[in-house]
Amino acid sequence: MLAASNGAGAGKAESPGYLLMLLTPALLVIMILFGGGLLLGLLQALGYQFSGQDVTFTLVHFSNVVNDPDLMSSLGLTGYIATTSTLAAVLVSIPLALLLNRLAQESKMINFILQIPLTVPHLVTAIAILLLLAPSGLISRCLLQLGFISSAHDFPLLIHDQYGVGLLLTYIWKEIPFITFMLLAVLKNTGTELHEVGKTLGASKTQRFLHITLPLIAPSVGAAALIVFAFTFGAFEVPYLLGETYPMALPVWAYKNYADVDLFARPEGIAIGLLIALIVIAAIFLAQGLAQLMNRNGAPR
Amino acid sequence: MKKHTVHLVLLCCLTCTFWALPAASQDLKSASWDAIVQAAKGQTVDWYMWGGMPAINTYVNGYVAEHLKKEYDITLRQVPVKDIAEIVSKLVVEKQAGKHENGNVDLMWINGENFRTCKRHNLLFGPFADKLPNQQYVDWSKPSVYNDFGTPVEGMESPWGSAQVVMIYDTARTPTPPHTMDQFVEWITHNPGRFTYPAPPDFTGSVFVRHLFYHNSADTSLWQGDYSQAQLKQTAQATFEQLKALKPYLWRKGSTYPDSPVRLNTLFADGEIDFSFSYHQAEASRNILDGLFPPTVRSFVFEEGTIANTHFLAIPFNAADKAAAMVAANFLLSAEAQLEKAKPDVWGDFPAIDIARLPAEQQKLFDQLQRGPATLTNQELQTHQLPEPPSEILIQLEKGWEQQVLKGR
Repeated sequence: MLAASNGAGAGKAESPGYLLMLLTPALLVIMILFGGGLLLGLLQALGYQFSGQDVTFTLVHFSNVVNDPDLMSSLGLTGYIATTSTLAAVLVSIPLALLLNRLAQESKMINFILQIPLTVPHLVTAIAILLLLAPSGLISRCLLQLGFISSAHDFPLLIHDQYGVGLLLTYIWKEIPFITFMLLAVLKNTGTELHEVGKTLGASKTQRFLHITLPLIAPSVGAAALIVFAFTFGAFEVPYLLGETYPMALPVWAYKNYADVDLFARPEGIAIGLLIALIVIAAIFLAQGLAQLMNRNGAPR
Repeated sequence: MKKHTVHLVLLCCLTCTFWALPAASQDLKSASWDAIVQAAKGQTVDWYMWGGMPAINTYVNGYVAEHLKKEYDITLRQVPVKDIAEIVSKLVVEKQAGKHENGNVDLMWINGENFRTCKRHNLLFGPFADKLPNQQYVDWSKPSVYNDFGTPVEGMESPWGSAQVVMIYDTARTPTPPHTMDQFVEWITHNPGRFTYPAPPDFTGSVFVRHLFYHNSADTSLWQGDYSQAQLKQTAQATFEQLKALKPYLWRKGSTYPDSPVRLNTLFADGEIDFSFSYHQAEASRNILDGLFPPTVRSFVFEEGTIANTHFLAIPFNAADKAAAMVAANFLLSAEAQLEKAKPDVWGDFPAIDIARLPAEQQKLFDQLQRGPATLTNQELQTHQLPEPPSEILIQLEKGWEQQVLKGR
């Protein structure tokens, strides 16, 4: 960070004003489109009426959501989906990245294969999983033909099921390449010098992994995991397609309220959406705080 | 100086138009049909409608637009919208803001809850339906026509088409399907795991719950008139109890439900369940033609009837071209336009007019329509229709289903 700013900024006056000017176009877009939408949403969730004569605000929609017994079950389900899929993806990605780091240096093919899942939309993956794993899906039919099961009813429930197996598989399949890619970028740039030093000083393979590789990739793992967590926590389409009818993931619940025939359910849908944003933002701050704490406690950097 | 004169003239013209307009809209209600057709000449009809189906758009922008231009010198402009409720709320705002003239919307395709909102807030021009000559072909004695989801139509909208629920089954798997709702409920309990319905508030799933609601009512016509809240509560509760009792016999023991009629049809086609149902009379035939259903699939209606609704056209209170909108609504109701619309390769929507009222040769044309192997005859369908209950009941049933049947509270 320090080295980069020293190098790039040589000879140019980087006053805060100049930076601000450069960032203005991008900031404007974000402020107006994102901030504006958020503000409009907040106004609606607070019961502000555009067509009314006098302006009134109410917290009743938020309190309705908070006091709804569904909040806990939805929050639990969403948290379970986001945490499990993030953890699983991270646990697979680290060894995969280390393995690929060796192979990727020789073959461009691996990089290419790794990029394929990145280009497939979540929606398409979810449908593919549905076609594969449904009781009347491709795998079930193959097993039926081969005589392993006697009817579609013998096939285990993997879609619309209690544990969200199909849902988790979709996310894990999508996120492993993403995290692996981020880690590969870091690993490629670290070189082999540190490992050679470690080897000369007699560190074992495990020791080298724990004290050299892991600290090197830890910030990237954390950042990638955070992105994946925030995305899966707020994503709508996969739980909508593959989840149980009830309990619903938070984004599905928000959508149900927003699309209700009863127009008064709409502010509650927006309130849930804002709640999702709040939780994700809180998670980001928490992660940042944790990372700083680790640095201060003398993690090897 | 010259400029000022031009402005003055323009101003005068504008004022005159604005003065003339309210008078014109009053006149329309007393004018003869010929005068209305005369007034409509050269006008442009802005028709706001749901534009999500290419077949409908082609019919509107092709056949309908061409005939209106040729026969009446009316320009038709279709304005596709995602949800006509947006337009209804726009009209509410315009009404509040006092915009009583020259509105953008001349014609709307609506029914049910949206019509109720329009009528309650006086957002519609009319009554105009009784002025349309083609009204003579409509059977206004049918509750699914004179009431739009329980709201009396009273000439404030003109019928355009109809939809009716049909049950779908495969003769190869179920040679003798149940004939009544009573038998059907019995069939479900004797064949565990072989039936399910889309989770309300999906429209198709919701209408199945309404059929059970009717099944639990002593007299279905009660819901079209004055019923008490106690009666509604009691019947609704009986419906929920029955649905809860049926839950263990549903597909996957009712732990989850398909999210849409499309999923329901897939489950049926995959042999996971033995019945499907649809709010479109020709759904089974269309799916056979598309190769989704085997050719042995057929449809049926219960002896006591299935729920049907009519979809309508309405003219907003502040429409700029009311005369042309009326002429368009009348043309859309004509035997020719209804016949074209009913052709399976055009749209396949069922007629809003009573075929029996048409001249013999036109009746023959309707009879000759390609119906598709699994579609019932108009006669069979029209004699087995139940009206939709008021939207208030619909909403209560959906909310109660979610609380009691889905969440078990």
